[in-house]
Amino acid sequence: MTKFDKKTMTEVRALFKRYAVKVHALLPVLHLVQRENGGYIPEGWAHYVAELCQTTVNHVRGVITFYNMFRTEPPGKYHIMVCTSVPCGLCGGDKVLEHLEHRLNLAPGQTSKDGLFSLEEVQCLAACDKAPLIQINAEVHERVTYDQIDALIEEAYRKPA
Amino acid sequence: MAKEKLLLLKNIREANYKGDLDSYRKTGGFTALEKVLSAMKPEEVVEAVKDSGLRGRGGAGFPTGVKWGFMPKGTGKPAYLVCNADEAEPGTFKDHLLINEDPFLFLEGMIMGCYAIACHHGYIYIRGESIKSAEHLQRAIDSLYKEGLLGKNIFNSGYDLEMTLHRGAGAYICGEETALLESLEGKRGQPRVKPPFPAVSGYNACPTTVNNVETLANLPFIINEGAEAFKALGTPNNSGTHLVSISGHINQPGVYEVEMGVTIRELIDDYAEGVRDGKKLKALIPGGASSNVLTADEIDIPYDFDSLMKAGTMMGSAALMVFDEDTDIVELAYRTIRFFNHESCGQCTPCREGTNWLKHMIRDFMDDNGNGPMLERVDRVAEGMIGTTLCPFGDAAGAPIRIFVAKYAADFRNHFAQ
Ligand SMILES: Cc1cc2nc3c(=O)[nH]c(=O)nc-3n(C[C@H](O)[C@H](O)[C@H](O)COP(=O)(O)O)c2cc1C
Ligand code: SF4
Ligand code: FES
Repeated sequence: MTKFDKKTMTEVRALFKRYAVKVHALLPVLHLVQRENGGYIPEGWAHYVAELCQTTVNHVRGVITFYNMFRTEPPGKYHIMVCTSVPCGLCGGDKVLEHLEHRLNLAPGQTSKDGLFSLEEVQCLAACDKAPLIQINAEVHERVTYDQIDALIEEAYRKPA
Repeated sequence: MAKEKLLLLKNIREANYKGDLDSYRKTGGFTALEKVLSAMKPEEVVEAVKDSGLRGRGGAGFPTGVKWGFMPKGTGKPAYLVCNADEAEPGTFKDHLLINEDPFLFLEGMIMGCYAIACHHGYIYIRGESIKSAEHLQRAIDSLYKEGLLGKNIFNSGYDLEMTLHRGAGAYICGEETALLESLEGKRGQPRVKPPFPAVSGYNACPTTVNNVETLANLPFIINEGAEAFKALGTPNNSGTHLVSISGHINQPGVYEVEMGVTIRELIDDYAEGVRDGKKLKALIPGGASSNVLTADEIDIPYDFDSLMKAGTMMGSAALMVFDEDTDIVELAYRTIRFFNHESCGQCTPCREGTNWLKHMIRDFMDDNGNGPMLERVDRVAEGMIGTTLCPFGDAAGAPIRIFVAKYAADFRNHFAQ
């Protein structure tokens, strides 16, 4: 259903109280939409959110397309971000990305057919001393080796839920 | 390792420090806040910060007390303080250290900052990708409410303060303060035309100050020990210590707290223990991707705002990136411009198109398809971005490319077509 449940609506109302006007809460509300919908903003929700935040659908769409983290397609259950920025890229980040592309048979921006993995090349994640690093959903993995990456992938295959 | 001068990382460097509210209290936390709320007028806090010479640690190095002084009074509108925790400048990771391991230090500073500018609702803008840090920070804020250090009548002073954590959603440009304010208002993060400056028209068109996390973390020391004690540290006009994020081809990457004015050579050799694998230094970027590269011969410069400015670069967010003798500067330039191209907000043609052209031209060099006229064109396009855009991003993307070409032309020549 294109609608927040009761519990989430309570969170939304609490959010609205924290800003001068409702539309200012658009980013946190869109984060909630993604949390409730497996990490993306499905068709129809832009309308609902526009109504909720008292703004236009175009405004909502403009915001969704501006920010990297807002998606209109479902990500994999394990969304893997690889930093290839300066300095990570020059400290092994690039090779880590190549390894993952090869291992998962995915290019950055793609999601695997079984919906388990998606791969994204990202800019600096503010943890450059831990290069090379990847972030899987909320979890950062520091100074990763190919073996560690393979182990993480194996583990994901074993417990896809 | 050479000894750090510990003001901001004093707690974090204690082996068993947990960073929760109780531990923070035990180290003397909130004594500054209590003093401010019980015995100081807001103007006195502003004066103390002015006297300390504290300059913003977000990138521009603007004097914090002076900035607070710009906040107009008697406008009838609410005033806002927004803490910038976006930390997205490549190479920078010091604010996250404070947020993750000792959040109450900068939060105490922020509460005092809010009091100083008569703000009753402060916002913290944290980057969207840092999900764990945001959860951690939200818990810290919740515990402040629970302990009566936020909300109504803090320390029985009659002062009320709300605090809201706002998560971004993945856009470097939202670190620029006016883009940040747009984003806080639920809009695309596109920088505003200045003037009006945020002090006049910021969040919700009200007087607003934006301060970096580390900047605010200095306040407890300044209030407890006095402005003079702070000024006694560092070099003239560059007071205090600062957190330097060191990364790249280095033995001990990490955050180091040093007095302003320690030289780059000392930072690399004595703190971060030298270039990795016994290699020679080739280049370093002193202040994040937006700052101009320095060569291995330029490392005896004191690491502070003014000395780096004099050397034709800048301290920016104090992100020192070290590159060894095997580094291909063309690759470094390519990665830098790819970053800026990805992150341009697209409002200004020189920035949007310039970063795109440069990316493609430097890509051609990477494919060994360069030539002399092309190298001149790279320089010309980069030059065309400087001073022609709405926000400093255009300069930040263009200037470093020009300096890469000027200082390391040989690297580019290695990629000329045969
Ligand atoms: C493109 C761009 C990105 C910026 N990113 C950040 C950032 O991530 N964090 C930050 O504190 N300041 C950033 N700044 C600087 C802010 O605009 C602002 O000057 C700063 O937050 C003010 O705080 P301060 O006075 O305490 O330094 C950025 C500036 C520009 C032009
Ligand atoms: S200079 Fe670039 S980032 Fe800044 S406003 Fe213009 S297009 Fe946007
Ligand atoms: S460059 Fe990768 S985390 Fe900073």
